[in-house]
Amino acid sequence: MMAVASPATRARHAFWLLPIVLLPVPWLLNPYQQYVLNTALLYVPVGIGFNLVVGNLGLLAFSNVAYFGLGAYASGVLMAQFGVPWWITLLPAALIGGAAGAVASIPALRGVRLFYLAIMTLAFGELMRWTYIRWEALTGGSMGMAVPTPSLLGWTLDTDLRRYYVFLALAVAIVAVTDRLLRSRFGRAFLAIKDNEIAAASMGIPTDRYIVLAFAWGGAIVGVGGAMFAISVGHLTPVSFDLTELVRQFAIIMIGGLGSLTGAIIGAVIVIIAPQVFISFPGFDELVFGLLIVLVILFLPRGLASMLARLHPVFVERYYRG
Amino acid sequence: LLVSGVSTGMLYALIALSMTVAYRATTVVNFGHGDMVAAGAYAVFVFGLGFGLPFLAALALAVALLFAAGFMTQRLLLQPIAAGPHLSLAMMALAIGYTLRGALRLEWGNETINPQRPYPQDAYMLGNVVVTTDDVVICGVVLLLLVVLFLLLQATPAGKLIQATFQSQRGAALVGINVPLFHAVMWGGGTALGAFGGVMLSMIAPLTPDLGQWTLVQGFAAMTLGGFGSLGGAVAGGILLGIIQKLLGFYLNTVFIEITGYLVPIIVLMLRPQGLFGRRTAIRV
Repeated sequence: MMAVASPATRARHAFWLLPIVLLPVPWLLNPYQQYVLNTALLYVPVGIGFNLVVGNLGLLAFSNVAYFGLGAYASGVLMAQFGVPWWITLLPAALIGGAAGAVASIPALRGVRLFYLAIMTLAFGELMRWTYIRWEALTGGSMGMAVPTPSLLGWTLDTDLRRYYVFLALAVAIVAVTDRLLRSRFGRAFLAIKDNEIAAASMGIPTDRYIVLAFAWGGAIVGVGGAMFAISVGHLTPVSFDLTELVRQFAIIMIGGLGSLTGAIIGAVIVIIAPQVFISFPGFDELVFGLLIVLVILFLPRGLASMLARLHPVFVERYYRG
Repeated sequence: LLVSGVSTGMLYALIALSMTVAYRATTVVNFGHGDMVAAGAYAVFVFGLGFGLPFLAALALAVALLFAAGFMTQRLLLQPIAAGPHLSLAMMALAIGYTLRGALRLEWGNETINPQRPYPQDAYMLGNVVVTTDDVVICGVVLLLLVVLFLLLQATPAGKLIQATFQSQRGAALVGINVPLFHAVMWGGGTALGAFGGVMLSMIAPLTPDLGQWTLVQGFAAMTLGGFGSLGGAVAGGILLGIIQKLLGFYLNTVFIEITGYLVPIIVLMLRPQGLFGRRTAIRV
């Protein structure tokens, strides 16, 4: 008798189909559409990192934009001022994002929870934005800074098409590694902490260590997303990292589905690509996404990913629970 | 210097107070409050200039409108998910604020508006202290509102009802107080108070759709300084924040005027996770 693969295994196999399907897509797109698709790809790690803390761990940390901005500026400044090649800046971008994540987890370790944690992390993010504005020597202040043309091992990443394949590879790698992480004892510990932190601690789970780890890993991959953002837009300004950006990132994980990898991917695609339809009306995207989040919370609290999971068992994620 | 600190502080106090009213009633922090405050300022601007109403009539209409908005928000959007996780509640409030900001931006773009003051702009010397009419009007209006609020809470049956419900929601429900209605009314009251704050803010700062972001952070800073959920604390925290901001800005570096609002909640909550005057609450398992 032939062994039947479990839905979870099949889901993992199905996941590898997605990048293969995406490989020839650029032939269908004009350069601008390519740029938009790249942006959606770079928001995949951003959404996943955010979701890890907010969705999987269940902590109200609003500092995701800080990791994103730090990663972007780390990459941009190293390239512009020190001539470091882009692919090498990925590492410092991840490190600084991860370090910022670890710093942001300190209040959580001290027992700051709920709205208090939200407010502290929100203030942390705003403080970072103020730093970009004020540290003009490095960041160019509120006028922003130009990011040089990146290269990868001698290959110039000067078109959106070239960047697309690099972004695709990075996004796939991050999804795969985070998927492994969530299916390991780490993911189970996150779930235990989310469900009942005190019960988890009394069962001998070192909750503090897992909280720092989730924040740091989340921060690191968001930092990488920031480095991708830096070369994709080519010009960094502090405005890109304000509270509006925070809500955009929230929209990604809320609409896609809290605590779900698939959700973060769906969310990134929808939240980035949909506004292109009404780009000529400033403010309209905020209006639409605000309303969309309201509707999702009211009628689909687990986001679009939960709809997919109901559609077909392939989309059910084991470490994802309401 | 101290005078302008106090008058800015009064403004923070009013905003923090309006957030606290809603928070005390429902234990939900309104992350969209800043944008509601901004919407209040815009509403006065529209009624005043767009419809040519006199300032006070425009103000009254705007406050009524914001009361209705806060009331409906709580009733229709937050009550259905009140039993759900805190995250959804916080996100709901944030999303409502985001929607409002989008609506403001759609109408006015990113341009700034400088509304007309309904009173002459002037400055006086009291001894060697400069006092502007802005300071006088802000302090006067906030003090007036505080007195009204205090009387409302202490000397009327409605105030007794509010205090009783603050103390024990279940007890209040048992003696026949309509607690869900109370929640909605308190949200309405909170946003209406916020609208006052927004209008006065628009006197001293240009009106942009992003006004709400700044307001929110300052309101949080004042709330954490005063201890979450304490009405008197919110007022004290607001005034204290205004003074700290001005003093740091004057004696150390002007950059502190910009970042006090960010530093205060971080430092206060690191030292005392429950807020400066907040009571330590045991977490139920």
